[in-house]
Amino acid sequence: MNEPILSIKNAVKRYGPVNALDGVNLDVAEGEFLTLLGPSGSGKTTLLSAIAGFIALDEGQLALRSADITGKPPEHRDFGMVFQGYALFPTMTVRENVGFPLKIRKRSASEIEKRVNEALEMVQMSAFADRMPSQLSGGQQQRIALARAMSFDPQILLLDEPLSALDKKLRADLQWELKDLHQKLGVTFIYVTHDQDEALSMSDRIVILKDGAIQQEGDPNTLYDQPRNRFVADFLGKSNFLEAAVVAGSGASFQCETKGAAFTLDTQTPCREGETITLALRPERLRLGLPGEEFVPGTVKQVSYLGERCQVLVTREGGDEFLVSRPTWKTDITPTPGLQVSIGWDADAPVVLAPA
Amino acid sequence: MHVSAFKIFFQTGAWLVIAFLVLPILVVLPISFTDTSYIGLPKEGLSLQHYANYFTDPDWLNATWTSVWVGLVVATCASVLGTAFAIGCWFLSDRAAMVARWILITPILVPPVVQSLGFYRFWVKLGLIDTHVGVILAHTLLALPYVSISVFAALSNLDRNLPRAARSLGASVMQTVWAVVVPAARPGIATGFIFAFIVSFDEIVGVLFITVRNVQTLPKMIWEGIQDNIDPTIAAVATLLIVLTLIATAIGVLRRT
Ligand SMILES: Nc1ncnc2c1ncn2[C@@H]1O[C@H](COP(=O)(O)OP(=O)(O)OP(=O)(O)O)[C@@H](O)[C@H]1O
Ligand SMILES: [Mg+2]
Repeated sequence: MNEPILSIKNAVKRYGPVNALDGVNLDVAEGEFLTLLGPSGSGKTTLLSAIAGFIALDEGQLALRSADITGKPPEHRDFGMVFQGYALFPTMTVRENVGFPLKIRKRSASEIEKRVNEALEMVQMSAFADRMPSQLSGGQQQRIALARAMSFDPQILLLDEPLSALDKKLRADLQWELKDLHQKLGVTFIYVTHDQDEALSMSDRIVILKDGAIQQEGDPNTLYDQPRNRFVADFLGKSNFLEAAVVAGSGASFQCETKGAAFTLDTQTPCREGETITLALRPERLRLGLPGEEFVPGTVKQVSYLGERCQVLVTREGGDEFLVSRPTWKTDITPTPGLQVSIGWDADAPVVLAPA
Repeated sequence: MHVSAFKIFFQTGAWLVIAFLVLPILVVLPISFTDTSYIGLPKEGLSLQHYANYFTDPDWLNATWTSVWVGLVVATCASVLGTAFAIGCWFLSDRAAMVARWILITPILVPPVVQSLGFYRFWVKLGLIDTHVGVILAHTLLALPYVSISVFAALSNLDRNLPRAARSLGASVMQTVWAVVVPAARPGIATGFIFAFIVSFDEIVGVLFITVRNVQTLPKMIWEGIQDNIDPTIAAVATLLIVLTLIATAIGVLRRT
């Protein structure tokens, strides 16, 4: 990475016994779209608030382009922020809202006029310049909030679940627009969400948080294909978990066994003979076959159709359940509850998880 | 029928309650037009002499003027202090702010006589007895809770992220308060101002305790008027006040619809 635009060193924030941030280290690259992803209460808002300067860290440092900004008040940080509830100023028109940061910075009237028009154009809201925020729909308000946060060319744009109050269709539209804007403007985005689909579809890089600590960070592909631990594998997409014993093997190929079913495992993760490992298997990597065709026998418990894909829940003796996701067009087997089947996977499909 | 008896009972009751509320007010109306020189109903005809008296008697006019300007000063002081207090509490919104809010509304909870006694003892020490400053101070204390309560109400639905948004956009704390919070509180401040004025304008218990000769307000003059002369001008003043109130209320209602 080149010099990071923002660098967070060992950030700690405590609320009584709760560690809202528990030693977070993070570098943000210039121009990237970084997403903070995590379940409710994982510390996403706390981290973003600390970056914005709304809360003081108990420990740790923040640096903007190597200059320490740990104690700098928010108004001097020059970061735009978009809030979940939009937070438009209710007594100002759309134009006044968007022009607010420029007016505070004492820019000339003509410059404010020009910049506001540009910003409104950018979010396709020029026609609404003289309305009050209360006369706008949620999606329109969110666009204005975005225009306001960008009208003064902030160093970084912080977004705290900006789309979570919108309905699904609108959310999808705005996701594209946000992504588009990010590409057009080249500003660094730090985006908070608890919606994994949103994170996967928009981000250059995702940081997964849990209990105030980073679980894993990386680009969407890496996180999805190589989750480091059970939490990540479960949180980002769906996973099946499987305990298996390493029977033989070395280097990058091992023979494994799970409750009588033997299979080959190709992995870069070092394993030792005799060790018990936990594997994560994506539902779409599982194959469904007739009894005997694959190596794990089981019974179909439930089937649900999701349009282009179909999810089959298979139980095997001993109680383990496997979720299999297969394209609906595959008609070699028509899974119905009670049907005897078998399950298999490619040798490189399982991911070895770090011990919890 | 059983049901209709029930209905008659309650309708009669309702009218009686209304009569009970309104009649004492209405009774001043005929008295104010009396042609007698004492308080009583008109004998031979209607007369405007007591209205004329009110508008020509310098004592009545001075007392009215005192009540008006004291009320305006009180409303201004209470609005500034009460708004500042409410906005401060809104920003903090923690335990201390809750406690402070409760303490501030005690003037509403404490009986006026007890409070006035307190003012009296204290104002004697401070040398504020029978001064306009003393009255203004006492009335401001009494009016403060009304302002802060109505400003609290105006702020209660305000998004807590607004100050954060303003600060992230470059505004200092003071700029945030001026540009974002005060405008949102404005309706509450206006209501509070009117309430504060009314509190001061018709306050009598405190005034009786802490003033002697020097300060004469309208309520005190009415009170003393009933005490030692039975001048019907009092009824004329009361009628004028009722009419003024009705006009103000009507304007308020019309503007809202
Ligand atoms: N002001 C506060 N006082 C006490 N505890 C707090 C405060 N703010 C946050 N916390 C606690 O810190 C932890 C992290 O909170 P945070 O708001 O950062 O979570 P989040 O990831 O944003 O969750 P969500 O997705 O629900 O918004 C939570 O356990 C929360 O209860
Ligand atoms: Mg949050």
